[in-house]
Amino acid sequence: MRAAERVREAWVQLAHVGMHPLRLREVVDKAGGSPVATLAAIVRGQVQVPEAARRAAQVPASRRLRELEEAGLELLLEGDPGFPQELRDIPEAPLFLFRRGAAPGPGVKAVAIVGTRTCTSYGKRLAEQYGEAISRSGWSVISGLARGIDAAAHRGSLCGPTPGTAVLGSGVDVWYPRANAPLGEKLLERGGTVWSESPPGTPPLGWRFPPRNRIISALSRVVVIVEAAVTGGALITARTALAQGREVCATPGDVTRDSSVGCNQLIRDGALPVHDPDDLVETLRLLLGEPAPASGGGGGAETLVEMDDFLAGLDPDPAAALAELGRMQARGEATVEDGMVRCRGTAR
Amino acid sequence: MLDGMFATTHSVALVGVQARRVSVEAHVGGGEKGRLSLVGLPDKAVREAKDRVMAAMAVSGFRFPARSVTVNLAPADLPKSGSAYDLPIALALLAAAGEIPDAACRVLALGELALDGSIRPARGGLAAAVTAVGMDVPCLLPSGCASETAIVPAADTRVVNSLPEAIAAAQGKTVTRPPAPPSAPRADVPDMAEVRGQLLARRALEVAAAGGHHLLMTGPPGVGKTMLARCLPGILPPLDEHSALEVAQVWSAAGRPRSCLSLPPIRAPHHSASRAAILGGGSGIPTPGELSMAHRGVLFLDELGEFPPHLLDGLRQPLEEGTVTIARKGATVAFPAAAQLVAAANPCPCGYRDDRRKPCGCTERMVERYQRRLSGPLMDRFDIRIKVPRVEADAMVGPPGEPSREVAGRVGAACKLQDGRGMRNRDLGRSDLDRMRMEPGARSLAEEALRSGVLTGRGFDRVRRLSRTIADLAEEETVREPHLAEALALRGA
Repeated sequence: MRAAERVREAWVQLAHVGMHPLRLREVVDKAGGSPVATLAAIVRGQVQVPEAARRAAQVPASRRLRELEEAGLELLLEGDPGFPQELRDIPEAPLFLFRRGAAPGPGVKAVAIVGTRTCTSYGKRLAEQYGEAISRSGWSVISGLARGIDAAAHRGSLCGPTPGTAVLGSGVDVWYPRANAPLGEKLLERGGTVWSESPPGTPPLGWRFPPRNRIISALSRVVVIVEAAVTGGALITARTALAQGREVCATPGDVTRDSSVGCNQLIRDGALPVHDPDDLVETLRLLLGEPAPASGGGGGAETLVEMDDFLAGLDPDPAAALAELGRMQARGEATVEDGMVRCRGTAR
Repeated sequence: MLDGMFATTHSVALVGVQARRVSVEAHVGGGEKGRLSLVGLPDKAVREAKDRVMAAMAVSGFRFPARSVTVNLAPADLPKSGSAYDLPIALALLAAAGEIPDAACRVLALGELALDGSIRPARGGLAAAVTAVGMDVPCLLPSGCASETAIVPAADTRVVNSLPEAIAAAQGKTVTRPPAPPSAPRADVPDMAEVRGQLLARRALEVAAAGGHHLLMTGPPGVGKTMLARCLPGILPPLDEHSALEVAQVWSAAGRPRSCLSLPPIRAPHHSASRAAILGGGSGIPTPGELSMAHRGVLFLDELGEFPPHLLDGLRQPLEEGTVTIARKGATVAFPAAAQLVAAANPCPCGYRDDRRKPCGCTERMVERYQRRLSGPLMDRFDIRIKVPRVEADAMVGPPGEPSREVAGRVGAACKLQDGRGMRNRDLGRSDLDRMRMEPGARSLAEEALRSGVLTGRGFDRVRRLSRTIADLAEEETVREPHLAEALALRGA
């Protein structure tokens, strides 16, 4: 009993060191799989880590746990009941994960949507539509909350009832890019989950993102790539998905455009091509079976309507229709973005 | 003859849009030199008048005095520029030489002489006519700039096209009056009936016209943003006599006579135009820029994102103050600049971001960078910001929209209400807005928007200004809840 507690405490301390996950695995393996021995090696300086990391390793587990509790965060170790099942059987599985927000609904299957950060409006719109279609069908949308396709997928998923999931490279309490902070907050508000391997407060360093991608693909049954160049995170996610035995779908794009080359190459190599949201949902039904009934996290799905159609539907007098739109905006029931009206509930 | 002979005639120098009297004095003195010296701060163009005047006189059959001649442009400390002094110099010189009677000198004249004795138009005809009225002398103007004086009924304007004609006209022998300005002026202003669909944009344009609010339209190329802007002068109330004279004087100072005096002007400078071209300036005596030519009218900036940021920043203060001040080494001049700003912008560098039919090739980052260029202090001045989407084909063949005449009726009534209060709604400051009469329902809606964070303090002022205009359009004294709600929607993001 004492020993088990000591092991658990060592894991908590190791989780807060913030080492590269694959390197940590290596170090733990070298120490014979014992977290206590690993921690001791780090503290004694036998493992080369930055001074700050060495100091972080010395903070007692009890203080770490208290800090987590105060911040409303969860640390799940491999083997804990809340630790995602899907992560157990993959190579290079994470040893622990930090969680912010609700635990994912039981039996809800997840689909990842990833793509380039420098997307076109074509890709952005598709990602939004995919996100919405997946969430409406009762599957959870997973992405990385990055700029571009990731953000669009999350935004789209908020139009459906199923809560989404974001996996971050930074700490679960650090939104990156800052511009996506409201989106992340909304995801949490709607019953979504945010995961990260990095300890809370970790800044968004570049090297933390590629290992993050293996978690995105592992947590999902299917990975959908919308726009990807030949280099970049999206193709890393596709590769890890294949290594983990996940299905990969890709959206064909303009063969002359850099941001489509990755997707087209994936399709040539055997990824399932998907064309529009209906096509995607049909493919997903074949792969995943009928979805679980929507668990309806926060409720209140949203719809996007063209401005002119929206106004025409409200009142034949434009002045009166505009007044009604203004009232809805004041109550926070509608927002206007990119020339479209996003409103709560169904279009009137 | 030993004392020499002397004669004086009159002309004007433009300072800003105002004219200052200039006396042109000629003295034919002793000696047998046949030399002409020109004094009184003339610039290069004025100095060259010598040669033009001598040639024009010879061609017209006059002998240049074979003695030393001095021409002075007084007051001597006011810089003079341009070729408009040719005609008064010739008249003063001929009178001093005894070739024509002194009576022929009691005029105010403006015009450039050609070598064959004919007269070319010059800038500032209107200012000259106004000055001539004040001096109670006839005003001689070449035909190119005489028609603009029609707005000053008291002016004794005589059209002259050659030096002999000018001499005859100055003595009242043959007097040609300027032709009346052409009276089919609105042909180049499109009618709002031609705008199909675009319900939001039509209403936004009406509210903008009624309150003088600056308007920003964003949308893909070819959806009709320019067309909408060009409709605006047609729904604005016609200029009253005082404003029409102000506008005509600016245009005259810029050397561009106006064809329809009561129509509010619209100017649409290209985004490659220089700072001086838009704000006014230029070397020597500053000339009015596009902003001032849009005084009491509309300054339309198409592709706002392409204008250099420093130029847009330069617009902010003049638009707020209604005048643009240009400081030069010699003089500081102020041009009127009370223009209504209408701007059109693309949503992204290629323009097709919000378009359903054409693909947009811009990356998110390009779009962000582009839109960041559109932020800044000038953006806060746009009370109305709307998106103009592409109209679907079925709306294009639908019934025509409400014609400009009917919209102008409502706008005119709303403007009259504002005239009664002595202030355009665009210029309402925070203290005016706090005093504004507002129904409790409107107040609570605004408070709700402020609480939910939809509205910021600055946005609140914009919304209150707009709601005042919307209430004016409904001819109601108190701002009611539907007015404020509509203002919230028109304000845009």
